[in-house]
Amino acid sequence: MSAPLYAGVDAGSATTKAVLTDAAGAVRGSAVVPSGARLADAAVRALDAALHAAGAARGDVARLVATGYGRGKVPGSDRAVTEITCHARGVASVFPEARGVVDIGGQDSKAIALENGAVRRFEMNDKCAAGTGRFLEVMARTLEIPLAEFGPRALRSADPAKLSSTCTVFAESEVISLLAQDRPVEDILAGVCRAVAGRAGSLAARVRVQAPCVMTGGVALNSGVVRFLEEALGLPLELPESPQTMGALGAALIAAETAAART
Amino acid sequence: MPDRTALLMEPFAAVCADYYATARRAAAGGRPVAGFFCSYSPQEIFHAAGYLPVRVFGHCGGTGRADEVLQPYACSFARSALHASRSGEYDFLSVAVFAHTCDTMQNVADLWRGPVPVMVTSLPSRLEGAAARRYFRADLERVRGMVEQLAGPVSDAALLSSVRLRMAHQAAMRRLYALRRMNPGLLSGAGAFRVVLSSMLMDKADHLALLEPLLDTLAQEAGAPYAEGLPRILVAGSMCQQCDFADAIERAGCVIVGDDLCVGSRSFELPDADGNDPLDLIMENYLSRRPCPAFHKPGHDPGRQLVEMARNANADGVVFLMTSFCDPMAFDHPRADKCLADAGIPSVTVFVEQHQTPPEQLTTRVQAFLETLGGGGGA
Repeated sequence: MSAPLYAGVDAGSATTKAVLTDAAGAVRGSAVVPSGARLADAAVRALDAALHAAGAARGDVARLVATGYGRGKVPGSDRAVTEITCHARGVASVFPEARGVVDIGGQDSKAIALENGAVRRFEMNDKCAAGTGRFLEVMARTLEIPLAEFGPRALRSADPAKLSSTCTVFAESEVISLLAQDRPVEDILAGVCRAVAGRAGSLAARVRVQAPCVMTGGVALNSGVVRFLEEALGLPLELPESPQTMGALGAALIAAETAAART
Repeated sequence: MPDRTALLMEPFAAVCADYYATARRAAAGGRPVAGFFCSYSPQEIFHAAGYLPVRVFGHCGGTGRADEVLQPYACSFARSALHASRSGEYDFLSVAVFAHTCDTMQNVADLWRGPVPVMVTSLPSRLEGAAARRYFRADLERVRGMVEQLAGPVSDAALLSSVRLRMAHQAAMRRLYALRRMNPGLLSGAGAFRVVLSSMLMDKADHLALLEPLLDTLAQEAGAPYAEGLPRILVAGSMCQQCDFADAIERAGCVIVGDDLCVGSRSFELPDADGNDPLDLIMENYLSRRPCPAFHKPGHDPGRQLVEMARNANADGVVFLMTSFCDPMAFDHPRADKCLADAGIPSVTVFVEQHQTPPEQLTTRVQAFLETLGGGGGA
């Protein structure tokens, strides 16, 4: 058997992420798969894909920590830790000086104030898709724009549209009205990005995040939201190389640390 | 939990599994049932007149029938209770008793439509002073008169007996809380919450008969080892109508060691009043409570009070269950939050809808909070 690996599986609403590290915390493999309707199956698929990337087998995993809203459904999990703690831990490993995290995922968003790498205060959105990745997906579908083009095209707007509602259903109606008024798609996309950023910015203000501040979660891949969020916060945002897997990375690091503490 | 405790807990859990089964049985057997919307309504008067007083909790589920007539900013307790009423779920009631606590509940009383009479009791907003006492006493006499019109004369002796029963029950509940503060491993917070809820859904005499053997058993086991390592949490808020909330909080990896809830210790953690005038005893009982946020008591600081409660319970942190659109609680909350922060007691605020099963976000938030305390091994 090769050197032990430590696994973090982040079972999110839209995607499931897996990260494998060695005992020193170096990333050996990672994967992102769609969650679908069966969280446990997605967790297995993500872990197997990460193992494949690492050239390892399931028997090499010494300890597995699960996180994300489906953390209770991850097969073989040794411990369940919330995504708040895991995102903070993942970010602190990549940006040790970070004092704030804004995470916008598929179904929820959260703002975390850090102190010496530990969670000092946090806020989550309510049980509503407004201001999350799902909101962007719905708008992209309405505007018939691939998600990958969302941010770059939004940044081309010189006059972002104003969306008065961040409720996904009402905002969709507003977008359709704007289309009927022949507003350029770029302006509407920019308006949507600014609405998401505004909502996340309010969460961040509640916990008083400070620079250096890191953005994580799949929505960090949308350059339009990042730009408007920087404006809303009045802070530059640091972006990890893989913002989606920060929670899974944190979980893997916690797995390695807690395994070391037990020996 | 030892087998004997588990056995003694079964009746309380059974009542909470179907809130109004006891009341429906009583009504079917000919005993009138009085439904209370507030812990400040004088249930002793109704008990003395032969009624079974039960607390009305909104149901868990949709609120469509209430949405037809109530504004969207009404709290979920009001909406779910009105929906249940308009759907016929409370048809076993013989009288519905409201207290004027906030505008929303006054609206619900006005909108209540059913075959049974509605009463609104009126407390002084300022719970202190000679004028407040005169006002409160006059209202208790008015309520007694209305009850007598419905059910016949209520003697002083019967009233005093109901008041003494209420006081004996309060003392027993205080004992339960004291035992759990000392050793919360004796009974989970979720279990204790079932004892509290069931006490509001059945006759106090019947509840006391179940409670006393439980207390004796717990007292015998008080020295048993307590599972160390779980953070001790105090739960604060206003209404909490579902056992699921306590279950979800403890599932996150903690033990609830006390509460500041109207469906909880506020109704029985108070000094025993002296005297033989039943209405005066009722008045003293209600005036001496930690006040509900809907009332004002000069000198009472909800923040300092909460800090003191958290310290007395040796709590590691406080979880606020904020019912969305509960304005009185929302006014008290910033002060309470600041006092806790100044005292170095960590807290987290979770907004809840009383008529919905606690969402995953509640457990996640509480667990994340516990993780900041160094715990949170649940979920």
